[in-house]
Amino acid sequence: MIRVMFFLAAASVALLLSALVQGDYPVSFADVTKFFTRDPSLGVEVKMIVGDLRLPRALTAFAVGAALAVAGAITQSVLRNPLAEPGLLGINSGAAFAAMVAIVSLRDVRPGLLPILAFTGAMIMALAIHILALRRGNSSMRIILIGIGLSSLAGAGANLISAFGDVDRVQRAMVWLAGSVHGSDWADVAGILVWAVPAMGLAWLARRQLDAIVFSDAIVRSLGMPIDRVRALLMLLCALLSAAAVSVAGLVGFVGLIAPHLARRLVGRGHAELLPVAGLIGGLLVMAADLIGRVVIIPAELPAGIVTALVGAPVFGWMMWRRRYV
Amino acid sequence: MNTLSNSVSSTKRFDRRFLLFMTMGVLLGVSSLWAMSVGSSRIPMTTIVDAMIEFDGSREHLVIWTVRLPRLLASLLVGASLAVAGAIMQAVTNNPLASPGLLGVNAGAALAVVLAIVFFGFSSSSVYIWCAFGGAMLTAILVYALGTAGPGGATPLKLALAGAVLSTFLASLTTAILIFDRDTLDTVRLWTIGSLAGRQMASVMAVVPYVFVGLVGALLAGRQIMTLSFGADVARSLGQNQTLWRLLAAGIVVLLAGSAVSLAGPIGFVGLVVPHIGRMVVGVDYRRIIPFCLVAGPLLVTTADAVLRYAFSSRDIPVGAAMALLGAPFFIYLARYRIGSGR
Repeated sequence: MIRVMFFLAAASVALLLSALVQGDYPVSFADVTKFFTRDPSLGVEVKMIVGDLRLPRALTAFAVGAALAVAGAITQSVLRNPLAEPGLLGINSGAAFAAMVAIVSLRDVRPGLLPILAFTGAMIMALAIHILALRRGNSSMRIILIGIGLSSLAGAGANLISAFGDVDRVQRAMVWLAGSVHGSDWADVAGILVWAVPAMGLAWLARRQLDAIVFSDAIVRSLGMPIDRVRALLMLLCALLSAAAVSVAGLVGFVGLIAPHLARRLVGRGHAELLPVAGLIGGLLVMAADLIGRVVIIPAELPAGIVTALVGAPVFGWMMWRRRYV
Repeated sequence: MNTLSNSVSSTKRFDRRFLLFMTMGVLLGVSSLWAMSVGSSRIPMTTIVDAMIEFDGSREHLVIWTVRLPRLLASLLVGASLAVAGAIMQAVTNNPLASPGLLGVNAGAALAVVLAIVFFGFSSSSVYIWCAFGGAMLTAILVYALGTAGPGGATPLKLALAGAVLSTFLASLTTAILIFDRDTLDTVRLWTIGSLAGRQMASVMAVVPYVFVGLVGALLAGRQIMTLSFGADVARSLGQNQTLWRLLAAGIVVLLAGSAVSLAGPIGFVGLVVPHIGRMVVGVDYRRIIPFCLVAGPLLVTTADAVLRYAFSSRDIPVGAAMALLGAPFFIYLARYRIGSGR
């Protein structure tokens, strides 16, 4: 566990450094060290590129990935379903619908307004699922089914807009929805951390409850925990985490599904280890994906959400293949 | 479940089920007739019957035979295939989140169609059919190969993960292309939601054999599918050859879902939702869920398509979106009131 965490943390730092160096405009390692030691001899241009563009962007990518991975781990445990991911809670479709409406239907929406709209859309969806699932207590099955229903409703709305809207705007919405951290600044970093850090802390505090809820409602109840309240609270944490991620980066799929599975292979099922390791893996994945998407077809960019799947899927497939005899 | 806990005698229960199927059958007939009569021009029912019995070459009869009937048949085929395929997927993977698309069928078909447009500039729906079918088949085989690797064979979890991973991969490739290619996006965006507009009789007839084989197979294998849904341990103790039956079930799903996606584009809702409705209405037995899906799937697709054409006759709302708009509220209602706590 300690070894895994250490290795992942070291890998994250190394990746962060290379994210600062790589890109359209060449920056040397010496410049980066100068930046961190606040050397006054560093050029203004380099300082701007590293400090205001690349560093906040890399940090946003990492935070998005970590938030989605932790949210995914919680969802899979609470719903007792290995295929569950945060998107199932209606977060993605709620945010997508809000963003589609904003970009395609409203004229000249201010870019600063999009994250707020997406966050609101996502939270409204999560709340709606929860309220609809609440009838003499809630149940995992009911949350899953109502999540499916509401998601397809919002998805249909977004689809209709994308089918009949102006094609240029639809394409812009698609880019936003594809999950990009392009142009993230320090406000985005703060915007996601403000939600994600407390939510992750609470999730870690609830690790024992998570360990129990994986088995069955009866076990949780026999341990003296109020199952409905625990489940509602955990789902709220998930909603917060993924809504925060969606609002700054759009839809980054796949991380929330895969990072917990990878983490489970590394450290097992106990949530005390699973949550932090999944978070680190998720952060690494998205940061790496953003770096690749940024440098592979300069000057154009591939959105991080797409690269995550394009790179992550073969890696995961290869891991499945290698472990086929285990 | 509801039916099991009721203290109704078994004959009465049988009567009720029989009544349910009769009602749904009649509803399906009525909605099919109605679907043929609504559209950009209203055609009275009597004319439809006339055209079916005695074709006289008038404009209305021509419209019925070349436009309305192919569309109706397509919606019936698509509805039945997707609903039954979804039921089988949920049984085999033992997962309520499974849908026909989980074998990668939809993602593969979409990528194949987009590639065909980008590289060869095809733009007619009759060409899409074969691209989509080919893409769907290839992807499904790949998913199955990846999910089967290893000593356990195609365990539900491995199969589901392989499908989810490969689908995401292909869908991302598709998005990556569409983000940079405006014209292709414009051509393909209606198709990707699922649309039945302008389907020709030849295209419909081309997939009929596959759908037929798939549906008959599904009905015959109901008992084996039920056994699979109990999970590996029970199935083994009952002496079932799981490798064989999982492969057969996957084959049926691919035939059905592949045909559906090539006819109507990637429609997600039916395959996911109709089996759940079935489980909430007729109980957990797949020998009853599959026939239920066979009737309820077409009923949902046909009615959704007809209602939307009736309400907005000037504009062709894609059936994929229409179905979700009409079906989802009903589904949410069922999920809220038919699923007990503690599950």
